[in-house]
Amino acid sequence: MSTLLETRNVSKAYGVFRALENVSMSVAEGELVSVVGPNGAGKTTLVNLLTGLLAPTSGEVLFMDKSIAGVGPVALADQGLARAFQLIQIFPKLTVAETIAAAVVSRQKKRWRMLSQLSADTQIHGKVRKVAEIFGLDSRLDTISSALSQGEKKLLDVASAFALDPQIILFDEPTSGVSTADKHTMMKTLLGAAKITGVKGIVLVEHDMDLVSAYSTRIIALAGGRLLADLPPKQFFADPHLIETVIGKRRTH
Amino acid sequence: MSAFANILAGGVFHAAVLFLVAAGLQLVFGVQKIVNLACGSFYALGAYFGITFISYATQLGISPWLIFPGLIVSGILLGFIGPPIERLLRTVYGRDESFQLLLTFALVLIFQDVFKFFWGANPRSLDSAYLIYGTLNAGDFSLPVYNLLVILAAIAVAAGLGAFLQRTNYGRLLRATAENRGMAEALGVDVRRIYAAVFTLGAVLGTTAGALVVPTAAASLDMAIEFVIEAFAVVVIGGLGSMRGALFGALIVGLIRALSIVFFPEFEVLAIYVIVIGVLIFRPVGLFGKSLA
Amino acid sequence: MTISSAAVTALAGTVALALLPVVAPPYYVGLMIPFFGYAIALLGFNLLFGYTGLLSFGHAMFLGLGAYGAAVLSGIFGIKQFEVVLLAVIMTAALVAVPIAFLCARYVGIFFGMLTLAFGMLFYSFLFKFYHLTGGDSGMRVPRMNILGFAFERYNKIEFLAGPFYYYCLGLLVIAGLLMWRIVHSPFGLHLQTVRDNAHKAEYLGVHVRRFRLAAFVISAAFGAVGGAILGFRIGLADPELVYWTHSGQLVFMAVLGGFSNFFGPIVGALTYTLLQDQLQSLTEYWRSMLGMILALIVIGFPEGIAGLAADLPRRLAQRFV
Repeated sequence: MSTLLETRNVSKAYGVFRALENVSMSVAEGELVSVVGPNGAGKTTLVNLLTGLLAPTSGEVLFMDKSIAGVGPVALADQGLARAFQLIQIFPKLTVAETIAAAVVSRQKKRWRMLSQLSADTQIHGKVRKVAEIFGLDSRLDTISSALSQGEKKLLDVASAFALDPQIILFDEPTSGVSTADKHTMMKTLLGAAKITGVKGIVLVEHDMDLVSAYSTRIIALAGGRLLADLPPKQFFADPHLIETVIGKRRTH
Repeated sequence: MSAFANILAGGVFHAAVLFLVAAGLQLVFGVQKIVNLACGSFYALGAYFGITFISYATQLGISPWLIFPGLIVSGILLGFIGPPIERLLRTVYGRDESFQLLLTFALVLIFQDVFKFFWGANPRSLDSAYLIYGTLNAGDFSLPVYNLLVILAAIAVAAGLGAFLQRTNYGRLLRATAENRGMAEALGVDVRRIYAAVFTLGAVLGTTAGALVVPTAAASLDMAIEFVIEAFAVVVIGGLGSMRGALFGALIVGLIRALSIVFFPEFEVLAIYVIVIGVLIFRPVGLFGKSLA
Repeated sequence: MTISSAAVTALAGTVALALLPVVAPPYYVGLMIPFFGYAIALLGFNLLFGYTGLLSFGHAMFLGLGAYGAAVLSGIFGIKQFEVVLLAVIMTAALVAVPIAFLCARYVGIFFGMLTLAFGMLFYSFLFKFYHLTGGDSGMRVPRMNILGFAFERYNKIEFLAGPFYYYCLGLLVIAGLLMWRIVHSPFGLHLQTVRDNAHKAEYLGVHVRRFRLAAFVISAAFGAVGGAILGFRIGLADPELVYWTHSGQLVFMAVLGGFSNFFGPIVGALTYTLLQDQLQSLTEYWRSMLGMILALIVIGFPEGIAGLAADLPRRLAQRFV
């Protein structure tokens, strides 16, 4: 099993404030790694480092054994790393098909083609349809994104990330705003899509411990900028001290 | 040497007038996030109306000594245009900034003909009545006292605005609304009233500046569209939304203008644009501006 | 807009324009040349504004480049072929646009607007002040040139403009329109629209936001130069006023009037503005304020412009009759 994404002794400081201190973690092929921790623990900083948005103050961030320190989201999208955000991001004036097509255009390296017509490109069309079908959006292909329901927007947001055919996808609280009943459905859709599209590794930033325990291969816990634990769910949840630090003490009334 | 000092003094006078208009621009941008292309039109309106006001007053036999306060009054009187124009701009709040900009551009077009209608196509000016205040002389250096009065008035306004914004409750309210409108509303601030008040204040600053300038310069149709560029240069150099920026930006633009007349006559206006572009490239927030919101 | 409805619109428009010199008095035909110039320039402008989301308040500088380029090449260097001039000003505008775009494309919204305004006025001051080179506020003469190799000496200026040159410009507009249509409906065009709608998300989908803003700017500059060359040819003069910021404002006005969310909007806007300005000028000397009020009306009440209204009309009519 090869390592896809990893950090080695990575630290990030903002002036005096040390957001991350000496964190080493990795995501290997076939793994779903959850990143948990209380607010301010450094999760966002770690994810920003992993997605090339920031460069570490010290240490290395490697994707497929290549340094991606601060290369930026565009370069990473090209190399096979995608990210979906917590807050829904759409292109209000574009249709579902166009949104997905934008990712496909990047993936098929057709971005500089100024004179060929999108409507005539069956390669792009085929791919767009396939991705839309995975997420149940194929009946909404010609709908303008702003006219979609919240749930559909969320699916579109995620679908466009999958359309990049990435090796790794990073999900930032993908089920936030989704009702409890639908959370598991959502996760199953995401995992199913990952399997079909050939995504090899997933990083999940989550607060919902149900989901974390149900779907993770490994859990990485951060607190105060440091790595607290890097364990499979069974061992993680067997440690009450860990759970307390990450979630907080259970109140006894 | 004294020719140089004369030119510098002229630059400071120009800076004083620029500051007043820029302060108005900054207030309106800071609180309402509107960039008002019609600021030059307010300036021209003040100029034209100032001439009419003073000519009328002179006919009524009012003492020529009152020309300085008279011009200030004429500028303030024009404040009545503030609320209705603000009401018009209110229709596009919350829409894309392009629309707001375009609406102010529409105002520029409309004002051009307002000037033509009331005052004709030819430039208008006051006679040299302002020289009644005399001139300060030191060898070859001469500065009309009127110019000095305007400079002092601008300083007074700067100090007054500063104190108002920093130390009064209403000023705090303004700054709060500028910072976070939603929060201010949630705290019970009547944001619409504030917007109307701020816009009117901005308009008055512009019209008064125009009024004050007419003894030394003619009012013309070109005035409105030419002045916009300089005012913008000031706020870009000083930093959008900053009062201190308006002050220092105005000084810089006024002095650069004066200096380039002395040293690089061909480059006069070019110099200002080069500086604007330079600032926008190397320090886009300007000297005192905040983030690139 | 589906391809077929667009094709019908384009065809109908072209036919109507082609028939105009036959049915309309020469005065109106003469008005149309500036329309062609503006329409081509606006097609480019709207690539930047409607499709990429960048509002430039200095776009007139490229029209000026086109006009002055024509003046320099034919007036000073004696080049008689208009096609050569067109190619030259396209390349010049593109070259000039690259560093300007490089500096401006970092910003959006109001800063982009102000920066482009500053560059436009910088060019204006240069044209105005360096009168040894540029003729100052008298401008530079643009002599008559050959089109497609023909001089049309038999025609006097008016006949030439209402006849051969009219159809030549119509042809240029058709070519420009076809080119822009393809650009806008290409993968490149799609990425531009993602930049407009949500540049942040676009990055995460692999869109080179900055590079594409630059590219859109350069293309729009080239179209602007062609429009400016046509204007210069028509007027016979390249004038610094072409570059003044209010002229850039007029371009924005035309785009919004026609409807910047619609492919044909800018063309409709150029036509409407040209005719409107002409009619208003003959009605009153206060035509500027009339135009200002129309602009205000559009901005407040009909932001989708004329083309937007027209596109919406079938839906509104259907609602009425259901």
